[in-house]
Amino acid sequence: MKALRGQLGIYEPKDESRNRAELSVDNVSLSFGGLMALSNISMYVKTGELLAVIGPNGAGKTSLLNCLTGYYRPQQGIINFNGEDITGLPTHELVKKGIGRSFQNIELFPGMTVLSNMLLARHIHSGYDFGSACFFLPSVRREETRHRKIVEEIIDFLEMQSIRKKLVGSLPYGLRKRVELGRAIALEPKLLVLDEPFAGMNLEEKEDMVRFLLELNRTWKQTMILVEHDMSVVMTISKRVVALNFGEKLAEGLPEEIQNNEDVIMAYLGDKTEI
Amino acid sequence: MKIRKIDSTILDEMKKMTLPQILRMHAGHLPAEYTAIREKAYGKWEIRNWKDYFSCVKRTGLGLIQLGFRRGENLAIIMDNHQEWLFAELGAQALGGITLNLFTSAIASELAYGLNRADAAYVVAQDQEQVDKLLEIRDKLPFVRKVIYIDPTGMRTYEDPWLISYKELIALGKRLENDDPGLFEKEIKKGKTDDIAVMIMTSGTTGIAKLAMLSHANFIDIGRKWIETAPIGMNSNWLSISPPPWIVDQMWGVGVALAGAMTMNFPETPDTISEDFRELGPHVIITSSRFWEDLASSIRVKINDAGFVKRLFFSKAESIGGKILDLRNENKKIPFRLKLLQEIASFTLYRPLLDRIGCSQLESAYTGGHPVSPDVIKFFRSIGLNLKQCYGLTEAGGIFQVQPDDEVKAETVGIPLPRTRVKISENGEVLVSSASIFRGYHKDYDATESAFEEGWLKTGDAGYLDDDGHLVIIGRKEEIIRDKEGRAFSPDFIETRLKFSPFIKEAVIFGEGRPYITAFINIDMGNVGNWAEDRMIPYTTYTDLSQQAEVERLILEEIGNVNERMPEPMRIRRFLLLYKLLDADDEELTRTGKVRRRFVYGLYLKLIEAMYNGKKQIDVKGKVHYRDGHTGSIETTVRILDA
Repeated sequence: MKALRGQLGIYEPKDESRNRAELSVDNVSLSFGGLMALSNISMYVKTGELLAVIGPNGAGKTSLLNCLTGYYRPQQGIINFNGEDITGLPTHELVKKGIGRSFQNIELFPGMTVLSNMLLARHIHSGYDFGSACFFLPSVRREETRHRKIVEEIIDFLEMQSIRKKLVGSLPYGLRKRVELGRAIALEPKLLVLDEPFAGMNLEEKEDMVRFLLELNRTWKQTMILVEHDMSVVMTISKRVVALNFGEKLAEGLPEEIQNNEDVIMAYLGDKTEI
Repeated sequence: MKIRKIDSTILDEMKKMTLPQILRMHAGHLPAEYTAIREKAYGKWEIRNWKDYFSCVKRTGLGLIQLGFRRGENLAIIMDNHQEWLFAELGAQALGGITLNLFTSAIASELAYGLNRADAAYVVAQDQEQVDKLLEIRDKLPFVRKVIYIDPTGMRTYEDPWLISYKELIALGKRLENDDPGLFEKEIKKGKTDDIAVMIMTSGTTGIAKLAMLSHANFIDIGRKWIETAPIGMNSNWLSISPPPWIVDQMWGVGVALAGAMTMNFPETPDTISEDFRELGPHVIITSSRFWEDLASSIRVKINDAGFVKRLFFSKAESIGGKILDLRNENKKIPFRLKLLQEIASFTLYRPLLDRIGCSQLESAYTGGHPVSPDVIKFFRSIGLNLKQCYGLTEAGGIFQVQPDDEVKAETVGIPLPRTRVKISENGEVLVSSASIFRGYHKDYDATESAFEEGWLKTGDAGYLDDDGHLVIIGRKEEIIRDKEGRAFSPDFIETRLKFSPFIKEAVIFGEGRPYITAFINIDMGNVGNWAEDRMIPYTTYTDLSQQAEVERLILEEIGNVNERMPEPMRIRRFLLLYKLLDADDEELTRTGKVRRRFVYGLYLKLIEAMYNGKKQIDVKGKVHYRDGHTGSIETTVRILDA
């Protein structure tokens, strides 16, 4: 029954410690040769928060996310997640610790179906070994059914029923972004990191995405960091904003404060000049 | 599974029952292998037998009692095709309530009109989108005491006590069930078969919408007639795809399926219908002519894109089927050679094609709502689908006129169902009389009065009976138009023929009191778009595509084809490609997709005048309404073409 749907199994009430996502970043610096991508960045995320990271092109937003998710290893500084130093840990370790992400330039398997792409994310949660998988033992079957159910719930939530068996490569851009979000949720992350989830979307697709993210954050208390260009979206959904420019932190605060911050306006719009 | 009809003695007993009483009877004696409801959820079909069905209805009804629903009050339902629609409808009817279904695509002001007109005390709404619309018009809905929403997605942050989730409603019902186990049965027993069960909003092609009232007896009567006529039995599958506010799914969901213990199947979402349709393979389907027209044109487009061998097989197989059809119609013997070829075509093409479109299990398929092009019927029949025309209207309790299996004549809508009488009035209007005729319009005595003529229901359609007693519908009586010289023609007749072209989505014919006939054409964006891409014709929007010179030539050719088959006075002389699609949001179409001719006439008067005063082109400034309440404007130049 439709009325009994809409509740994602992975977000069923569980004890507080399992949702805990306390992230702190202390004085992180990253440089590529002589180019300072990030210099002395410090920030934090609390459980249940939706933090937006904004900034003009080349501000270092994606570099910061890459440090958090193990793609880059900062030369200086400490990243701490739930009381554990995670600086420089490889990606697959971080996923197990509960940090899942989506990418700006969609990193899905285009030759696989939506369903397979999402089931792949369940790999880290599957308990069976190679031997029992070969014989498809009842325990394996049960496990597979459980994962399929979780993925189907996410498909239902993200309204992707009509594309579940389509190849990702055949989908329009906006839908692929949605599949990426779905795959990131299927990881059951404590901290969900989204890199420009709205990029390249039309108005309707953006509205849908806002709906999904609000439901995830407000109703299911999913902790999130998101990098975004679209200021109107950022102002609607985020609780706190961090603004970057040229690898430095410009400002941090409530969306309204950031909107009126002179440094931020300057970074986005530039200074007055006489011609 | 072999189709077994429900016992005729049981059918006879139903005459004195209400719809919820029938449900309780089925739940009492049908074993669990009889499936009442199937709905696709999470990628698989979830099954409910008759006991489960009754239990859901019971809890919904008891939940309504807990909310304060009283006998004689009305429940409005704004839902797509989901099983909760039936639970809410039958639950309210068990308490002596009357239900009214409204379209989920309706804008807020339309909802306000419908809800006030019906004095709805409770509303069942599909999801957040519908709830938001209701909240927007809340001050205009003084009678609505509670809104029950089905889909909880996005609703957890709403704290308004006006709203309650369906899940909570069921929980309330369950509590009352434990406290007072016999209460619901007692309520069901109070029902009388002549009580009003459902109100249906008539589509309003010709003016303000009215609420037609249908009783339990109406639905049961039409249900029994269909069970006697069509090859359907217990566990036969019906896929619920036409919107619940429309008579077809009402007649089937609470009429035929309930009386005949058929299975009601619900698709996963509106977007997955074609996939779900194919998975399920329904046994019977009644749908709008547009469904078949779209299906036929999408098959044709795909075949045109296919390789040489496939195209060859298709055209051969189609012509074999066509020849056999012609011979059958003329009652001639079919030569052995042709029979053999038919077998081959059936093996190589017909059956795989029917399977591909999900029609391989269909015993009978019906098209109604609007006259369908005879070419479409011929196309499907020639590939072995038993597609037949039927005819009916809300006020007659649904569809009462169908083509019999052995005599399908392309131009007719067949003969009446059992115990139904049809005659033609002196001024050429079709009249009908049977036990399933409606009980009048809600709060509109004058309209009720004028709907009848000496006890016969006036259908509003002009028609005649042919030599074999088959009914031929010419068109809406008030839409029959006479030109300047007094020659009568039916716009519908021309429009349906135009619409068989895969490139024409909609056509509106003008010519009342004019020297010749003109037309507005809406091109089919998908098919014309593909056609343009194949020819490297660049385009941006619908407006742009519709004004391309190549597209104009394409449509000119299509209109030429239709004109060739028309008698001289019914030929289109001038036409234009409209710069926007006609849309229900702009009130140009009804929610069921029919053109509101007068409204279009008023809106585009300038364009129509231009077609008669010899202009070659005209500048237009149009308005477009979006569903979220925004309006946009279009400025463009439209060329007027000579056919």
